Amino acid sequence: MRLAPNALTGALVLAITGAALAAPPAPPVKSAPAQAAPAAPAPSARAILNMALDAPRLIDYEGTKIITALRNGQMETVTVAESHKRPNLLRLEYLSPEDVAGRVIVDDGAVAEHYEPALNMLFEDRSIQDTGGPANLTLLNRNYDVVLLGTDEVIGRQAYVLSLTPHGTGVQRQLWVDRLTGTVLRSEDRDASRGLVLATYFSRISFSLNLPPAYFRYRPPAGARIVELQREAAGTLSLAQVQRQVGFPVLVPPALPEGYTFRGGSVSRFGSLVSAYLRYSDGGNIISFFEAPAGSIGWPTIGIPVRVQSQPGRFIDLGYFRVLIWEQGGLRITSVGTAPSDTLMLVAGQFVAGREQALVSDVSRRATADPAVVRQLRSEGLTFPEITRTLAISHALGTNIETTVRFVHGTLSVSDLAAQLRMEPDALRAAVRRAVDAASMTPALPSSPPATVPTGSSTP
Amino acid sequence: MNHHRAGRLLSAYMDAELPAKEAREVQEHLLDCEACREAHDRLRATRDLLAGLPPAEPPAELWAAIRQPVLRGRLAAAVPDVRPQGLVERLRAASWSLGRERWFPVRRPGWVFAAVVVVLALAALPLVKGTVDRLHASEIGVDLYVHDHAVQMGAAPLVDRAYLGLVAGDAELVMAGENPRAAGGRTR
Repeated sequence: MRLAPNALTGALVLAITGAALAAPPAPPVKSAPAQAAPAAPAPSARAILNMALDAPRLIDYEGTKIITALRNGQMETVTVAESHKRPNLLRLEYLSPEDVAGRVIVDDGAVAEHYEPALNMLFEDRSIQDTGGPANLTLLNRNYDVVLLGTDEVIGRQAYVLSLTPHGTGVQRQLWVDRLTGTVLRSEDRDASRGLVLATYFSRISFSLNLPPAYFRYRPPAGARIVELQREAAGTLSLAQVQRQVGFPVLVPPALPEGYTFRGGSVSRFGSLVSAYLRYSDGGNIISFFEAPAGSIGWPTIGIPVRVQSQPGRFIDLGYFRVLIWEQGGLRITSVGTAPSDTLMLVAGQFVAGREQALVSDVSRRATADPAVVRQLRSEGLTFPEITRTLAISHALGTNIETTVRFVHGTLSVSDLAAQLRMEPDALRAAVRRAVDAASMTPALPSSPPATVPTGSSTP
Repeated sequence: MNHHRAGRLLSAYMDAELPAKEAREVQEHLLDCEACREAHDRLRATRDLLAGLPPAEPPAELWAAIRQPVLRGRLAAAVPDVRPQGLVERLRAASWSLGRERWFPVRRPGWVFAAVVVVLALAALPLVKGTVDRLHASEIGVDLYVHDHAVQMGAAPLVDRAYLGLVAGDAELVMAGENPRAAGGRTR
């Protein structure tokens, strides 16, 4: 695929802007416009994306990575020595700034061990490499425009430049994918309101070093205190299972930005604080909801006081992640995500509006479905637009509700469903699009004037 | 050191059971943190109250009240024909019988006071603990949730793991009772 001149200009502008924002130090990227185009026809954007996703299973590497991230209103630069051994061994040794220097994380795909030298403490935690299975890739393909912007040069290596833009709201990601290995050499995450929020690049990288497995195990010094955090995977508990474990009614978001779907629940425990945790993903980003009895947790000392409808709340802008906390119905609800602050406020507003019964009646009437079916789907974590979509697709394709929910959740891909229905994937896509277009997405986001979050520092 | 860790160490600090380094950290934290200072004062007041109670001497009549009925067989002999059937009647009869032996606790106000203090202290303990827990939760709550979110972000393909490790690692420090990492590195 050849690069359109406008797209190339855009890519270069983005790259230059990114380099300027990330400075210092400036990323050592040499832009190589027209003459850097590959001699052979470039693969499709989706093929390059798949190559990048497959790379960790096929390639070993060791390199030095520079991370520049927005943190408490400032850009912070962190240097880390990153080593990877296929398929899922990872070692991160942070080199600078001083207050993270010496921190080591080794991760085997199941458990991550984090050693903090200043405290001589070792934390045992869940892996940060859980890929979430193929459903996430299905959602990513469904909810993001993946565009090949062209080629570029990163530390002397040719790289494809990919852009991943969500159909809905959220962070736009740009990746520089090594042509030979598929390794992501550089990445930039931007959001609409603040521009660049996260940039990473390798300043040096070596491949196929045959690093010994022992390098990815960490033996803490004598006397280190070991802190065992929640080691088991967050799993995918159903809403009913989460409710049984926490012992209080858990609220489900009535509506979310386009593409976000329920990816499972779990129970977060720390000391006496027990919270229900619901995860929603569009394949590229996640919005998390934590719900705990209001009496079990006080308001944090940081952040900006806000009103969610008439309810008291607090907004905390941590940089890459944003946090919105509010109270309703005896619960303290905390949402965390990369979504814009207005979107988080809109989602919270839908919670607080408390129109559950009215929406159940409305959706069941529009879809000519039994209200009990709508309530059942709500109890499985689906938002009202998802339920509307599920019922419309089920009607159009003649699929049962269970299969349709799997399709909407992304655990059943277009090709698999098409095979089940003996249809061509393109025909299935067209049928689904017609059904979804015909259905009224109530209440879709944004459906009301965006609430505004006061500007100002969120730190004390 | 924050509420969370200091709160866990307060009792050991009061009893001088901490290593010198941790004791100094708790002491420094108490100078800065009003909430922990209040919790410390409450714990110390409760301890002092309990320590100030008079020694629990058994009443002089206790032995007599036990020995005499046993020796004379009076307790067994007094009950048979008039034994009340209900629990309330039995308790009344027992207290009346003991009262006749001049061993009814109301005649020892020190004991009553001690019992009330112990009961109040036990009743207040969950209240104090609940308040401290709530303070801890409000302090670590955001970091706990950001930590869980960051770990789960690993499921999003192509999100940078080194960055997620940085965020999760910072949150773990706060969860372990350390102060949040200051904004470091080079800033724009």
